[in-house]
Amino acid sequence: MASVTINSVRKSYGGFEVLHGIDLSIANGEFVVLLGPSGCGKSTLLRMIAGLEPITSGQISIGNVVVNELHPKDRNIAMVFQNYALYAHLSVFDNMAFSMQLKKVPKEEIRRKVEWAASILNLTPYLDRQPRQLSGGQRQRVAMGRAIVRDPSVFLFDEPLSNLDAKLRVQMRTEIKELHHKLSTTTVYVTHDQIEAMTMADTIVVLRDGHIEQIGKPLDIYDRPANLFVAEFIGSPSMNFLSGEVAAEAGRLVVRANGVSLPLPPGANVTAGQVVKYGIRPEHLRPDTGGAGIPAKVSVVEPTGPEIHIYADIGGQEICAITQDRLELAPDDAISLVPALDRIRLFDPTTGKVINGPNEAPPRTLMRA
Amino acid sequence: MQETFWQKRLRDVAAVLVVGIFMFPLFWWALTSFKPTSAIFDKDGIVWFNFKPTLVNYQVTMLGKSRAELAIESGNTFGVGGASSYDSRQTIIDSLIVAVGATALTVLLAVLASYALSRMRFYGRQAYLNWILSQRFMPPIAIIVPVVFMFHYMSLLDTRLGLIIVDTLINLPIAVLLMKSFYDDVPVDVDEAAMIDGASRLQIFWRVVLPMVKGGVAATAVLCFIFSWTEFLLSLFLTNSIRTLPVKITTFVTSTGSEWGFIAALGTTAVIPSFIFILLVQKQLVRGLTLGSLKE
Ligand SMILES: Nc1ncnc2c1ncn2[C@@H]1O[C@H](COP(=O)(O)OP(=O)(O)OP(=O)(O)O)[C@@H](O)[C@H]1O
Ligand SMILES: [Mg+2]
Repeated sequence: MASVTINSVRKSYGGFEVLHGIDLSIANGEFVVLLGPSGCGKSTLLRMIAGLEPITSGQISIGNVVVNELHPKDRNIAMVFQNYALYAHLSVFDNMAFSMQLKKVPKEEIRRKVEWAASILNLTPYLDRQPRQLSGGQRQRVAMGRAIVRDPSVFLFDEPLSNLDAKLRVQMRTEIKELHHKLSTTTVYVTHDQIEAMTMADTIVVLRDGHIEQIGKPLDIYDRPANLFVAEFIGSPSMNFLSGEVAAEAGRLVVRANGVSLPLPPGANVTAGQVVKYGIRPEHLRPDTGGAGIPAKVSVVEPTGPEIHIYADIGGQEICAITQDRLELAPDDAISLVPALDRIRLFDPTTGKVINGPNEAPPRTLMRA
Repeated sequence: MQETFWQKRLRDVAAVLVVGIFMFPLFWWALTSFKPTSAIFDKDGIVWFNFKPTLVNYQVTMLGKSRAELAIESGNTFGVGGASSYDSRQTIIDSLIVAVGATALTVLLAVLASYALSRMRFYGRQAYLNWILSQRFMPPIAIIVPVVFMFHYMSLLDTRLGLIIVDTLINLPIAVLLMKSFYDDVPVDVDEAAMIDGASRLQIFWRVVLPMVKGGVAATAVLCFIFSWTEFLLSLFLTNSIRTLPVKITTFVTSTGSEWGFIAALGTTAVIPSFIFILLVQKQLVRGLTLGSLKE
């Protein structure tokens, strides 16, 4: 086990820079998820930690040792690849034993360790099989077994679940989390799936185009996105954004969007005339049939079971609201939507940065541990 | 796709037909090798099975008997005239040495070179690949004269080693390109996983990647072997006392007529080593040729 420190790390391919100065410190035993859209540089960063890509500039340390020049095998890391990268010609046992066989570990100890890993991962009945005789989930577990027998100080995962079907993905998600709980090994996990990130991470690092957009605990990132990109990327359906301009109305500040007034929380950090993006998550828009909110016209209604997704039109801008109430709604119905004032996020449309500050008091409904 | 009964039947019939078309010449050749000369050419028509099978053709080509000896043994004077130059035992040995040697050398070089081409990024890699490919376009006849001169100065003319080298030369480009396509099918992640597991480059190659492409190695080896085994032009120019099979067979066509019986016997025998070789690597070969089985 060890901490990982990444210090103004840059990466260029040829003259083309893909990571622009990454700073990140990962505590001992922490489960960090690197999250971002395809091509943002997640894998590149992970492979640099592993030693599979040279570091263009900056420094990476694992457990206080600068590893920039260390060969992958000397970094004491283990990596699980998206396509498992199993040794197809070796049995499950030998796949897991390979690293120890190379180090000439005594046979007895190899056997003991492989059997220990197999029992943790429910692979004991399959030790003699070849990888091609296993299901996708089992192969993934072999890849993890190969990683854990080495007692690495850091686990690296590169989208390990993306080749599995939806159901198995959920199951493996839990298994990886349990494994982390048992071994408490520092883990860096790459994914572009925000649900995976939310459910597994201690800390999420949101990346875009080789920049870190935000670092935080899953719920902090969800509740207090630092900018438009993070707000939009995390959450499904994603946050609603309405473009408008701050105006004074009846002695209070509101946002005017195409002639519709959107209420603001008291003490919002804006002035009249300012152009803003008004952000509100679908579950924080309460449909009110009484008419005491923002007037909207229903366009599509999608019941998902536990909740109903209502797509509606506010002054020509499309928004989504989610309710658990069993509302009888049809397209073209007029409804009004009441935003939870303490959940409103205002963004500067030019910089994309949040206006009502990432440091404001936690939202009212945050539960105490 | 659901096949109807008749579609299935039709496919079976087609398969049998195709196999039949390809096997018939082989069958006919083998049959001919057991015929006496009178049955090979019969002025009254084609002889199928109504002949008295004989081993004469094999006795001459494989046991080195001359026809005169045979005629005296059997008291039959028909067809006397064959000489000991029809003895092909040394030919088979030479051909085997050349084919096995060239195959081994080609596979050894190709397996290493193509691994580097598949895995390492170096300056001029693509140009190098194109150059290898271009070697494949070159017909052997185009280089025969310079090769003869070079071999002359290196004392490689009329040696088995010379033939091994020249066959390797011709086979290497296709072997490298073929092996590279097999390596390319093994994800680089596998190399990287092994690297993290602590394997050196050589260990990765020898213990991880090479075993994963053994089907490809088998396919490449078969290809090389068959080429060497049947190569005619280069051995004709580069040897005179050493005679490989295809060259030897042409010597059975003489100014006084063609010895069809001997040609058939030697031709039939020549099939056997290829057959055994393919049988040995059959399992790997099928896996090597059905690409994709290595993936995932
Ligand atoms: N070998 C390379 N040569 C040149 N550019 C590269 C190379 N590898 C990656 N890149 C570029 O670096 C950027 C980041 O790639 P990376 O693989 O890290 O993305 P990613 O975030 O892992 O995406 P994905 O979710 O699709 O795996 C991309 O723009 C990619 O085109
Ligand atoms: Mg990636």
